[in-house]
Amino acid sequence: MTTTSAAPTTQGIPELVASSAAPRPTGWLSWLMSTDHKRIGIMYIVASWMFLVIGGVEALLIRLQLAVPDNTLLSPQTYNALFTMHGTTMVFLFLMPMIAGIANYTVPLMIGARDMAFPKLNALGLWLFIAGGLVFYGSLLFSPAECGWTCYAPLSETAFSPSNGVDSWIFLVHLVGVSSFVGALNIFVTVTNMRAPGMSWGRVPLFVWTMLTQAILLIISIPVIAGAVTLLLTDRHFGTHFYDPSNGGSPLLWQHLFWFFGHPEVYILVLPGFGVISEILPVFSRKPIFGYKAIVAATLGIAVIGTLVWAHHMFTVPLPFFLMIFFMLGTYLVAIPTGVKIFNWVFTMWRGAIEFPVAMLYAIGFLATFLLGGITGIFLATFPVDWQLHDTYFVVAHFHYTIVGGAVFAMMAGLYYWFPKMTGRMMNEKLGKVSFALTLGGFWITFLIQHSAGLSGMPRRVYEYADVNNLGLYNMISTIGSFILALGVLLTIINILQSLKNGAKAGPDPWRGNTLEWFTPSPPPVNNFDVVPRVRSVEPMQDIRRQIERQDRVGEEAGVGAGS
Amino acid sequence: MTPRPAKNGILFGIVVTAALLIPAAGAFAGVIAPESGGGTPNAEAIRSLYLLIFGLGCVVFFGVGGLIVWTLVRYRASTGAVAEQVRGNNRLEVGWTVGAALLLVLISVVTFLKLDQIKNPPNSSANGLATPQNISFNTGPAKPSLPPNGRSLNIDVNGQQYIWRYTYADTDTNNLNNVFSYEQMVVPTNTTISLSIRAQDVQHSWWIPELGGKFDAVPGYTNYTWFKITKPGVYDGQCAELCGRGHATMVASVKAVSPAEFKLWYAAQKAAIVASEKEAATARNALVAKDAAALKAAPKDAAAPAAPVAAVDGKEIFVAGVPATGALACGSCHTLKDAGTNAAVGPSLDAILKGQSAAMIKASILNPNAILSKGFAANIMPANYGTSLTKAQLDALVKYVDQAVNGK
Repeated sequence: MTTTSAAPTTQGIPELVASSAAPRPTGWLSWLMSTDHKRIGIMYIVASWMFLVIGGVEALLIRLQLAVPDNTLLSPQTYNALFTMHGTTMVFLFLMPMIAGIANYTVPLMIGARDMAFPKLNALGLWLFIAGGLVFYGSLLFSPAECGWTCYAPLSETAFSPSNGVDSWIFLVHLVGVSSFVGALNIFVTVTNMRAPGMSWGRVPLFVWTMLTQAILLIISIPVIAGAVTLLLTDRHFGTHFYDPSNGGSPLLWQHLFWFFGHPEVYILVLPGFGVISEILPVFSRKPIFGYKAIVAATLGIAVIGTLVWAHHMFTVPLPFFLMIFFMLGTYLVAIPTGVKIFNWVFTMWRGAIEFPVAMLYAIGFLATFLLGGITGIFLATFPVDWQLHDTYFVVAHFHYTIVGGAVFAMMAGLYYWFPKMTGRMMNEKLGKVSFALTLGGFWITFLIQHSAGLSGMPRRVYEYADVNNLGLYNMISTIGSFILALGVLLTIINILQSLKNGAKAGPDPWRGNTLEWFTPSPPPVNNFDVVPRVRSVEPMQDIRRQIERQDRVGEEAGVGAGS
Repeated sequence: MTPRPAKNGILFGIVVTAALLIPAAGAFAGVIAPESGGGTPNAEAIRSLYLLIFGLGCVVFFGVGGLIVWTLVRYRASTGAVAEQVRGNNRLEVGWTVGAALLLVLISVVTFLKLDQIKNPPNSSANGLATPQNISFNTGPAKPSLPPNGRSLNIDVNGQQYIWRYTYADTDTNNLNNVFSYEQMVVPTNTTISLSIRAQDVQHSWWIPELGGKFDAVPGYTNYTWFKITKPGVYDGQCAELCGRGHATMVASVKAVSPAEFKLWYAAQKAAIVASEKEAATARNALVAKDAAALKAAPKDAAAPAAPVAAVDGKEIFVAGVPATGALACGSCHTLKDAGTNAAVGPSLDAILKGQSAAMIKASILNPNAILSKGFAANIMPANYGTSLTKAQLDALVKYVDQAVNGK
């Protein structure tokens, strides 16, 4: 860690101002050609929310089809294409770019940097992601993939999926994968090299820690999925037989490669969420984070163990017995650092003075939802129990609890938290609270009952089901919940659009935050900071506020002295 | 099988709470616990393991959830609470790390205790079907899950888009002669049933919820499971791994009947196979007779153009076929010493046509599916020789093959 910068005291009193050296460029072309991390971040977020709307409509169509038993609203072909697009969209085109957007915007600000290490690479990442989305949705013009977001071989081979939908899925994975890969390199280099003076590893904000860990996970796992889909591509078009059992290939090869990426992917999605929560809870509890080092250690621990447990997605395939035991115990181990995090979050609030803006409400909704998702994870990790639950609606419920509870709610919290910084305007708290109540309530109504549907024998990815074991009732409840959830998300979109125009002026530090992004105007100028302050603790903004107070006091005393 | 009372008081408390929750959970079967009810020990063991984890999960969820709610209410800013500036507590950190670890050790221990009951099949009961020793398909290096005495009813489960085929292995090594059924599997009660699960196109997953867990049918692999039903009845399930557009309709069911009833069903199935073979033989004989009649009538009809018959070379047709009309060469699939061919797609003609009449050879060329050689499936040999060969070519071919095999 470098400490060569001049001591900030030579710059005089830190002030909550920064000015731009050049006038801010305007016009749509200035956005398209921008390499400013803040504009790229906003474009990531806007594009990802467009895909959220598309993926959400797909989800509602799925729920409509399943609302009643033996429904004939959609054909099996349409239904299979819908859940394939829904899963792919939400993972690759909504959550990953949403996280990339939030991180792009906030990470340089939080570490006191003026941009990312490689601004052009950053722009490349954005446009590769958008290209991936276009290529994937281009398949709507012929016939979209029907093999699920996991695209298991040999179902995804040409013999069983002759349409080019699978090829467009492959290219999506390649484009979005390269986008994430260069984004991860950028984050890694930025965080390791461009931190403010004094920001040693023990003072790095927890969100930045999780983004650094996520970057490492991406760098490890993206090449594997890129290789896997390349093999699938050559199987489909160049006569190879990597996944074709009748010619010496193996369908299990696909599953191992896919889940070697697919399981770290879960932590790629939720670790940044953990980071957001670790930023928001202390601010609105008016307390320092409880157990900073333990949380960092838990983050790294989850990443290490999470990379070694992929085959718990494969407990029902023919797998040597000792491997099942290894992957079961390994998966149990993930629960320990996760539990450590949850307890540290609860004790961050404990004996605090808790305020409840919408950002904090989403953080609390995250805690409750992710708690249940974590617990059902233990059920699934126990392989004999998984034999019953695997590939049923229990699993569907579980991963929505972890991904929506762990990643989406955290990103919603982050959106409400950082919106004032990004736009200079506050969001409407009242509308936000209504939106939160509908989103959280709708989510629990939709997905809690799906555990029961799975336990009653309903496999996932079926376009119709017989009305046995109350499945009709469970699914109707779930469908009603999904529309409540959708209404909640819609209200947040309305809130964003309204607040952009009519929101109250935010000022540089509306929440009395802990980290450096609140040290600069909202929205920040192109260069972020005129002066990068020396960092002396995990909460540099608190130090700065204290220093200002002290100097105000000194000034006042001096003024009083002069006057008398 | 219950966990040993731990010295740790808290842990013991958790176990007691869990134990209390288990009977409560039984009241909501299907809502909060997996299905069971066929009386097969593996499904029961999985269910009780599930309920233990469910109980512990409830304790954790309501414990931590309660703590969160209490914290939010007690320390809300509107009460004028003053935030205490603490940064952590190492004892607490160690405490919940160890606590979580202990909980997981408990679950692991119980899982290992239950594993034997889940994984290893027991012997059939005395009132079950008397089954012969380990007859099963040779489907891979691994062995099916067999009971200690090695006697179980072995059934081959084959997943196909979008139906399940069940084959009951018996001493006839030609699987095509074994009793089989589609969609519904009939099994005797109180008898250990060992399943070998395979797939022939894409991946499927065998799952009857009440009879225990699911096992994927992966092309190129064989998966094994077992069950032993005590309660007669029909147990429904369906394919649990996306296998294409018909995935939702790929249902399965197991009908458990008494061993006596099962024997009747089995005998009826076997008789049906024999009857259908007889039917095929009758049809074949009729064809042979018809052809023989036609042959007899032939000289009168074709008296004038007798000469071209000699011009056609039967061996040539056998080796090269007649590409112009789409008649494939016999020799590319069949072994015939005289023609110098040694392919093995179809049966060796030297072996199967020995001693057969020319009429029979002709009938077999024209209707390849009428009688199948052991070990060879229907619809592999083209059935177009009646149209792709002229009558003269066909006769020459039959004459050549007959001579080559039977030396006439």
